[in-house]
Formats: sequence, structure tokens, C-alpha cells
Amino acid sequence: MLDAGLCNYVVISYGHNAFSSDSMMKMLMDFGGDDGVFGQFGAASGYAMAARRAMHTFHTGPETWKHIAVGERKWANLNPRAMMYKRKMTFEDYYNSRPLVEPFRLYDNCLMTDGGRAIVITTEERARDLKHRPAVIMGMGQHNTATAVNYSTHLAGPTGAKKSGEMALSMAEITLDDIDACEIYDCFTYTVEINLQSYGFFGPGEGEDWLKGGTIEPGGRMPLNTSGGQLSEAYFMGLTSLSEAAMQLMGRCGDRQLGPETNTKAPEIILCSDSGGVSRCHSSFILRRG
Amino acid sequence: MEYNKPLPKLNADSKPFWSGCREHELRFQKCNKCGLIRWPPSIICPKCHSRDVQWIVASGRGKVYSFVVYHIAYQPAFKDDLPYTVAIVELEEGPHLLTNIVNCSPDDVSCDMPVKVMWDDVTEEFSLPKFEPA
Ligand SMILES: [Zn+2]
Repeated sequence: MLDAGLCNYVVISYGHNAFSSDSMMKMLMDFGGDDGVFGQFGAASGYAMAARRAMHTFHTGPETWKHIAVGERKWANLNPRAMMYKRKMTFEDYYNSRPLVEPFRLYDNCLMTDGGRAIVITTEERARDLKHRPAVIMGMGQHNTATAVNYSTHLAGPTGAKKSGEMALSMAEITLDDIDACEIYDCFTYTVEINLQSYGFFGPGEGEDWLKGGTIEPGGRMPLNTSGGQLSEAYFMGLTSLSEAAMQLMGRCGDRQLGPETNTKAPEIILCSDSGGVSRCHSSFILRRG
Repeated sequence: MEYNKPLPKLNADSKPFWSGCREHELRFQKCNKCGLIRWPPSIICPKCHSRDVQWIVASGRGKVYSFVVYHIAYQPAFKDDLPYTVAIVELEEGPHLLTNIVNCSPDDVSCDMPVKVMWDDVTEEFSLPKFEPA
């Protein structure tokens, strides 16, 4: 639309009073059809079902997911806007959090947030005249595996991240090795693992090895969800990840800024993702510093 | 005592399945063209698009494809059941069916565990297919 000259600026926004109202829970309770007959409710149910099948298929589970929960929390502790800014989390805290829908514990689940987020997209030419140095879209891809959890025969993945990632990388003319940081949709800890695995960052069951030692934390070699993500900053659907990637590339992230401030590489290229419908649809975006 | 949990919402596609359950039979559609036994019910075959279909009765045997254990009652009616197990059972005939695993502690449920159907006659109108260790 921008390239065709149909419009000059596009705003993508999200806002919700999910924390103080019951609207998010109502929506999640209603979309399950007859699942409620058997006591199956909410978004955790489908993802927990997928995570359990994954635990049966390859090496994964809480020992892998704790690195995601704790790693993201460390980023949130650097972000004054994060809901969990002042609350630290250790591996012990993770293990001690109460089980909700097993195999998930409380700290495997994302937050519910009152708030909103918006981004503005325009042409590179217009962006040049703006106050902030822009983030540029290098590539994008979408893949919808479409099968609902209850009927899926490939519940342990790969997710749509595989094909949508290949599309986005090909459009950007880069490889995974060129990615400096990731902003991955993280409704649950496991969502991050299965999507990183589907992108090809590691093989099935190698997530724990890849994550351990602080890989995704401040100072790590692949910083991930650097605002705290949906697990520890705020839940704004795809805009939590997309806005953070753009802000990082613009250099507007304060104490959590990638680069010397956090003992990480100053980012040139960031991979972001969004997914929906319990891994039924997946989008990938690759942004670069403008 | 009145049954206060959600009940199936019937439509033209799903009615034969739930009528079968009332007779303690697991009925599924089988495509007369390609032979696919399918679930959920639909007017055309998702594999070959044929409308030619018959209903068959499944054996009621299968294995646990995946399962979750609830420690929280999102609806108050399930509070007394905690912790309870929701599973996807892969039936011998192929379909994956969302259900509960009963007569088995959640700690003893595992993926690929063999199970067989049992019937929970919850109201005059509805019997729910649940599964127990085979
Ligand atoms: Zn057919």
C-alpha cells in the first residue's frame, strides 16, 4: 500500500484492559467449542497439550523452559515499563511456582496486561526525514499449518516458524547466522523453544543445551525478548515483539539497550515472530537498522 | 443432583456422534471413496472432497496421544475433580478425540498408554466418552 502510493503512513495498534477486566478470559473460554465438556479451557490447554507431546517426542520440559522464564525476567528487570520490572526470578522460584495446567507452571504462562502499543510504518524515503533513525523491514513470511490441536498429528512441531522463517530469510537474503537478536512471540515458555527449534537455531531436543549458560540473557550470545517479552514485560500480542525489535534497532531502549550497555553485540538485524491459534498460524519479520 | 458442567452443543454434523454416545457407541464418518475415517464430522471428506459417507462404530480402543493435568478450575463445576486429566486419544481407527482419562491417577498417565472407552452417563440426553487404562 505504501509502495503503491495508496497511503503515506500506516499505524498498527493494539490496546486491551485484559488485566482489570474479564474480557480476555471470556474470549479464551469461548473459543474452545465443545472442549469445555471435558474441562478443557483457555489458551494454556492447547499449548500444554503440544508441550506434553513434545516431551514425549524429544528432550524438553521444565529444565529447558526455566532458562526462558528466567532469561526474559532478567531483561524485564532492566525495563521500567515491564510489569515484572522489580521482581527478580531464580530457577528455584521457577520450580516453586504452582502448577496450573501441567506440564506448565505459573511462570511458564504469559501476563495479562492493561495497556497498548503501536508502531508506524512508512516508506524508507519518508522515514529518512523523521526524528529517529528507522528500523527497516528486510523480510517477512507467513505460514499457517492450520490444523487445530485436537486433530493434529504433528503436535510436537515443527510449527509454521519453519516455512515462514525460510520465506523471511530468503526475502532478506540472509541466513540465521546473520541474526543478532530475537523477539519471539512467547505466550508460554515452550512457544519460544518450539519456534526457535522450528526456525533451525537448534535441533529437536537440543534446546536446553542451547539455552543454558545465559544464551538469551543480558550478556548472552543471542539476546531474546529484550523487553521481558510477554512473560515478563506485557502482553500486546504481536506488538510486544515487533515494537521492541524496532526500538532496539533505533537505539531507544535505555538500560536494556543491546550493545555495550548490556554487554551484547550492537544489533544490525533482529528476527521477530508472532503466532496465533495455538501454532495454527505464524508470521516472521526480519528488521534491520536503518 | 443437577449436572452443572458444559454439555455438547449439537448441530447437524455432530448429532449422529452424540446420539451414538447415548447408545454407548463411538460413531464416526467413513469416506466411501477414499476410506478415511474422519473427526470432527463434516459434509465433505477433508482428504478427497467426496460427499459419499457412511457412519461406522469404532472399537473404543486407542492410546493417549497427549494429555494435560488441571490444577486450576477455570469453571467452578470442575473444582471437585482437581487434579483432573484431559487427553487427546488416538483411536485405533485413526481419529483423535478430546476426552478425559479416568480411573487412573494423573501421575500414572503417559503418552502412548493404551486406553479403552468407558461411558459417563451425565444426563438423560448425554453420555460422554471417557477413557481408562486398557
Ligand atoms: Zn475421502
